[in-house]
Amino acid sequence: MAWQSKQREIGTAGWGWAIFAGIIAFIYFFPVLWIILTAFKTNADILAVPPKFFFTPTLENFVSVFSRSYIKGQAAVDTGFDRFFFNSIFIAGTSVLLALVIGTLAAYGFSRYPLPGNDTYLFIILTTRMLPPIIVIIPIFIMFRIAGLSGTYPGIILLYTAFNLPFTIWMMKSFFDELSPDVEDAARLDGSSEKRLFFKVCFPQIIAGLAATAVFGLILTWNEFIFALLLTGVETRTVPVAMAQTIGGDIGVRWGLLAAIETLFLIPVIIVVFVLQKHLLRGVTFGTIKR
Amino acid sequence: MTAVTSDATGTPRWLTPSPRNWRLALLIAVVAIPGSIWLAPGNVAFWISFVAVSAVTLAVTINAWGRYPGPLLVAPAIALLFVMNIFPLMWSFGLSFFRFRVNRQAPPRFAGLDNYEKILTDPTVWDRLQTTALVVVFTVAIQMIVGFLLALLFEKEFPGRRVLLMLVLTPMMLSFVAVGAFFRFYYEPTFGLLSQAVRLFTGEPFILLKTPAGALAGIVFADAWMWSPFVMLLVLAGLVSVPKYLYEAAEIDRASWWRKFRTITFPYIRSLLLLALLFRTIEAFKLFDIVFLITDGGPGSSTETIAVYVFRVSFQFFRTSQSSALAYFILFIVIVLTNLYLYFARQRSQEA
Amino acid sequence: MSTIKLQNLTKRFGDLVAVNNVDLNIDAGEVLCLLGPSGCGKTTTLRMVAGLEMATEGDVFLADKRVNDLTPSQRNVAMAFQFYALYPSLNVAENLAYPLHADRLSQADIDGKVREVARVLDLTDVLNRLPGRLAEGEKQRVSVGRAIIRDPNCFLFDEPLSRLDVQLREQMRGQIKEVLSGLNKATVIVTHDQLEALTMADRIAVMRDGYIEQVGTPHEVFATPSNLFVAGFIGTPQMNLMAGTFAGQRSGSLRLKTGEQEIAIPSSVPHAGLTEGGRVTIGIRPRSTELASEAGDDTLTATVDLIEPMGAETLLHLSDGDRDLRVVVDQDVMVRVGEQLHVRPRASQTHLFDQNDARIA
Repeated sequence: MAWQSKQREIGTAGWGWAIFAGIIAFIYFFPVLWIILTAFKTNADILAVPPKFFFTPTLENFVSVFSRSYIKGQAAVDTGFDRFFFNSIFIAGTSVLLALVIGTLAAYGFSRYPLPGNDTYLFIILTTRMLPPIIVIIPIFIMFRIAGLSGTYPGIILLYTAFNLPFTIWMMKSFFDELSPDVEDAARLDGSSEKRLFFKVCFPQIIAGLAATAVFGLILTWNEFIFALLLTGVETRTVPVAMAQTIGGDIGVRWGLLAAIETLFLIPVIIVVFVLQKHLLRGVTFGTIKR
Repeated sequence: MTAVTSDATGTPRWLTPSPRNWRLALLIAVVAIPGSIWLAPGNVAFWISFVAVSAVTLAVTINAWGRYPGPLLVAPAIALLFVMNIFPLMWSFGLSFFRFRVNRQAPPRFAGLDNYEKILTDPTVWDRLQTTALVVVFTVAIQMIVGFLLALLFEKEFPGRRVLLMLVLTPMMLSFVAVGAFFRFYYEPTFGLLSQAVRLFTGEPFILLKTPAGALAGIVFADAWMWSPFVMLLVLAGLVSVPKYLYEAAEIDRASWWRKFRTITFPYIRSLLLLALLFRTIEAFKLFDIVFLITDGGPGSSTETIAVYVFRVSFQFFRTSQSSALAYFILFIVIVLTNLYLYFARQRSQEA
Repeated sequence: MSTIKLQNLTKRFGDLVAVNNVDLNIDAGEVLCLLGPSGCGKTTTLRMVAGLEMATEGDVFLADKRVNDLTPSQRNVAMAFQFYALYPSLNVAENLAYPLHADRLSQADIDGKVREVARVLDLTDVLNRLPGRLAEGEKQRVSVGRAIIRDPNCFLFDEPLSRLDVQLREQMRGQIKEVLSGLNKATVIVTHDQLEALTMADRIAVMRDGYIEQVGTPHEVFATPSNLFVAGFIGTPQMNLMAGTFAGQRSGSLRLKTGEQEIAIPSSVPHAGLTEGGRVTIGIRPRSTELASEAGDDTLTATVDLIEPMGAETLLHLSDGDRDLRVVVDQDVMVRVGEQLHVRPRASQTHLFDQNDARIA
């Protein structure tokens, strides 16, 4: 009936609002969209004046991400991003996994067996994450030079594990804190050992949280720039550092290549944002705000 | 663990060899490590120290196993954070009282509070702090406003909300390097989108990063674009936590939009707005990557934030100890802000 | 005049019909209770009157004016919510004054009204408190106060007492009834508690699955339930409902067969619709019985299964093999489990329902 459109339930909006929101969201997303479009353009199209919205898409940028070199004029230029991709994935994956194991145990400890001064420990832990990396990096840089760790995989993995730990601990603690204590009490009355309690009762309940933490950790680590800039060597360089160096290069910035790299990274990110919308708030505030 | 002597043999308990006797292990380590460093060549000393530390760790672990689950669970994390964060911080605290350059062979010389005096009286430091403050104020203000408006946009349930939300939230998940690189691309004078858009109106190419104000605006715009969704996410959390029946009651009570907002909505998002403000302030204060990539502090040093300045002092000028002092100065500010943030976050979770 | 009229009101959520063709008239000054089990559509009906829910079909008239197109605020209704919906950041006085702001009264007028309502509802001492620091009963009174402070077209109450404990509930029933009797407004109260409905309502509308099963005064729905559902729903302990067959009419009484037993119920009403051997349901309220000393034409015989003392009375669970019979007796009647009793239903208080569950007598 006609009058139905005049009014709607509180808390909902209709297609008019959806279209308005769609326009705003499109404008907001435009810089990202342009990156994606750029990734499919030839170099000539990228530098075209005025900018081209319609063009023949090409995959050459994606190909050159993984081919070791391309020919420009006479010289062969090594792009070799496959190496950096491997580094980024390997370093981020290993350090997130390590941080997850150590951090989950610690979070369980902080949540279930509070120490005297528990909050102080947690505060210090969070503070180490809130610090500008630049102020810890000076001594770490010196330390790594003395220990011969700078430019090696173990060095940067160790550092990133520590970098991920505060985030992991706070996230996982917030998940552990949310579990109903009744279930554990019931299990305790049934005679479960503490070890069994953790693995059989708590752990299955926080697997979703664990996955969310892992994914956010991976994104944070993948994106990290300044530690990687100063502490990775030629062999262990990660994608962001390589990207930054491409910009500073003397052969002219290959925007198509950069756009292709970023587009490859965008696919998992967009999936994550869509799937993990529920945990996003917790993720971006390092577990300090749950809802 | 208080009894020191107990055995029938009369040997003090802390001397009885046993895998769980951590006191004995510690004693041996305390003797062995400095001894080996002094007497043995470097790599041998390293391995002796390594074994000694492992032995102490093992003894402590065996001793605590099953009896102190709390400390045992958190110990690995604390140990790693100590080695990778706390210890370096302490080291740099020490360095800040010496004269030392990491690129020179000269041993550190004690300098007292000279470094602190130097940075606190250095007009450059204050200038960089001013730049930082300017960036923080502008970017956080814009983020709060845009984030708030975006949250109002997504407050209601409508078709396609989840997908559109995904589009808006994506920038936050990008790397600083990607955002920095691509905004530099958009600001490019000849083929950059901004310059071309301006040229439609003026006929002239537009070089945003040429002027200090333009460069600052460019940085602020990129950072605000990236992080407004963060504020939106927090505000949205507050908005959806308002029980629907309150709006229904207000509707029955014939309240105006403004009255509803003031008496119902705002109390629910107030604490989250404050948290967003503090969190973004802390983060904007450490702004490094975007500046590094878009302007590299330029033109001149007009957009050099304090984080970029510390980077330069330590890794381009190699004034290591001076940068340590500066780092401690920043550390202090961040600790204060973090403390405030956690205080309000805890207060909010207790209210809920 | 403050009246409510509902015509063919229907609400569908997809395939589910929550409210089906409801017609109701509520006069000024009348209190109508919508009573029914949860999910019967009573709250949806109320929300459609308030304008919080849009009707799929049918019309709502308030004060003889069709209000389908109006928003809740334009309808000028007052409503007390089940969860009170007190504004958490405002104190009690501000909560009470909240609905008055739209009337653009002077601050003095607002204060006067707030004080008056606070006096009536005994809230004067807590006017400066925030809702979070109120006792449950006080919260409930504030929500009622917020409704009665203005001069609306009608009052709507959604399960107003459901969150109070038994004692408070009894007290508030009287208080609300008293307050409402002084205001000449049409009032709808939604409740699932029949005691609440029976005590507070001028008329009760019993709902099931979106339909109104019966509308009548509390006495009517109790004494002459129009069908099996109403008969079973109203009254505690629940009415005994026994399947049986009609065995003919003899000397001013109906003979009914239930299980192995036959019982005669005196009745002057002719029962044209009933044929011999036709299926009927016999309804006997546990309190509308007496114990007979020996078996007779008009008694049922059963053995005691379970004895539940309820204070002044005792509830006996009897059975005669496959049929259960609940009977309330005085506290001083002494029986033992296993004892055989003869139960005589009170003649005028026995109900008969035909095979379509509709009332016969």
